[in-house]
Amino acid sequence: MDSAVWRFFAGRGAQYLLVLALTVALNFALPRMMPGSPLVFLAGEDVGFLDAEQRAQLYALHGLDQPRWRQFLTYVANLARGELGYSFQRGRPIAAMIGERLPWTLLLVGLSLVIATALGAALGALAAWRRGSAFDLGTLGVAVFFESAPPFWLGMILIAVFGAGLGWLPIFGAATAGQALAGWALLVDRARHLALPLATLTLINVPGTLLITRYSMLSVLGEQYIATARAKGVREQDVLRRHATRNALLPVATVFMLNLGYVASGATVVETVFSYPGVGRLLYEAVLNRDYPVLQGTFLIITVSVIAANIAADMLYPLLDPRVRRR
Amino acid sequence: MLLLGALALAATLAPLVSPYDPEQTVADPFLPPSREHLLGTNDVGQDILSELIYGARISLTVGSLAAALAVGIGTTVGVVAGFSGGWTDVVLMRIVDLVLVIPFLPLVILLAAYLGPSYWNIIIVIGVLAWARPARVTRSQVLQVRSLDYVEAARAMGARPVRVMARHVLPAVLPLAMAQFIVAASNAILIEASLAFLGLGDPTAKSWGTVLYYAQVRNAFLSGAWVWWVLPPGLLITAATLGFALTGLSLEERLNPRVRRARAS
Repeated sequence: MDSAVWRFFAGRGAQYLLVLALTVALNFALPRMMPGSPLVFLAGEDVGFLDAEQRAQLYALHGLDQPRWRQFLTYVANLARGELGYSFQRGRPIAAMIGERLPWTLLLVGLSLVIATALGAALGALAAWRRGSAFDLGTLGVAVFFESAPPFWLGMILIAVFGAGLGWLPIFGAATAGQALAGWALLVDRARHLALPLATLTLINVPGTLLITRYSMLSVLGEQYIATARAKGVREQDVLRRHATRNALLPVATVFMLNLGYVASGATVVETVFSYPGVGRLLYEAVLNRDYPVLQGTFLIITVSVIAANIAADMLYPLLDPRVRRR
Repeated sequence: MLLLGALALAATLAPLVSPYDPEQTVADPFLPPSREHLLGTNDVGQDILSELIYGARISLTVGSLAAALAVGIGTTVGVVAGFSGGWTDVVLMRIVDLVLVIPFLPLVILLAAYLGPSYWNIIIVIGVLAWARPARVTRSQVLQVRSLDYVEAARAMGARPVRVMARHVLPAVLPLAMAQFIVAASNAILIEASLAFLGLGDPTAKSWGTVLYYAQVRNAFLSGAWVWWVLPPGLLITAATLGFALTGLSLEERLNPRVRRARAS
């Protein structure tokens, strides 16, 4: 890699660091900026029932008696060690709580992203190839509908139809409670629980990719080299697969990146509807319990994940587009 | 457009067209649809159809106001960045990129949880966070307008930059801002619905999202009740989002220089 590429990454890196810094600063500032005692946000609403001595103790425990800049340094130092503080609802370390939830979300979101991108790209390319056909218009209509529908509502409908109505699939959690399963049975059980949330999340993620692929495919199809390939007598399927689609997929990678934040949002509501034990559901539980430290920790982790995914996408992009590599 | 018109009309005329007061218990709870209650009743015996008609007011108002705020900020930033160029432009666009990276809904949830449930808070939070995209689109338009003859002429005659921006550049980007507003409104409606669904809505006034929230809390989808309790509000949200999005896209197609160029090639 030459220096231009490194400069590109340095610029991006600085930007991601800034986002991270902002998130941390926001998390630090929010409980201290709100009206009333910051203790309510850091230690729970029961604080009101404590006597003066206990309050002073708690105050010292959270370092609130120290100057702001010292509090901030301590806060950042704790974060750097992976300490996110304690949930005042459960009294457990937040890092451990998130750690339990993260694999489920990664499974759900990761699978959904892969399926949605593949499906969206394939359908989008086909739709553009048969521009104006019934297939094209039908796909467009369905895509636009799912793009506009609220994700949590789609989930509720799927539950009503496939879960409660037909009784085909479980609608709650990620595993059947109280059963010791092993091997194949375990896998089937997990897959059955995953099916509906995965379907919901995928349904709302396909349209974005589909619309962009179709759009980019249409402009690629107008290029000279497509006409050249056809004139050379390349078979239509090969023109579609090897000449057109390959080049049309570049913007898809960009959208993939832009979508990551959106996917995180979708996951939050979808996990809530299905009581899927992921990070998004944790965020919701924290809102319900007004468990502010958990809320902040979860938000921080989601931001970090999105940044990490962005970086991964940045690194993959040059592999896809030789022009970026050369520049 | 027709879709939007119908929804807006229903929202404006809510007291006239809705058969019951949405806040009043008018019948037994959990009634299936009947001639008196076209969409049945909810868990406390309120008429669901009336709830939805009044909900249109909240949903559409929150969506529009939040979008107006977002586009207001976005257009200002876009005009200043595009017109000034240089460092101002670089810094402002960096901030735009930054805002675009942050996961939107989780941040909105965090802020809404701290600020407490009220529609004003939701409007402000969405507005303050959703301006990045309009800012970017506006800037690209301003870059085109900036080099037009009449703008150059105004500058050459010694008009102050602020005046040139306000008198000559702003009018040129206003139609585009209108399109952006509509796109932003469709997003804002979805986000408001999500927030209300997560229980972060204003408890004193029901939006479509709030209706779904209660349906979820009362497990409406486990019984046959989902057909008239869950399906209609979701379809309304979809219709409103779709209506805004399609109107916005067709406007943008006509006005946005980048889309137009991509079409031409």
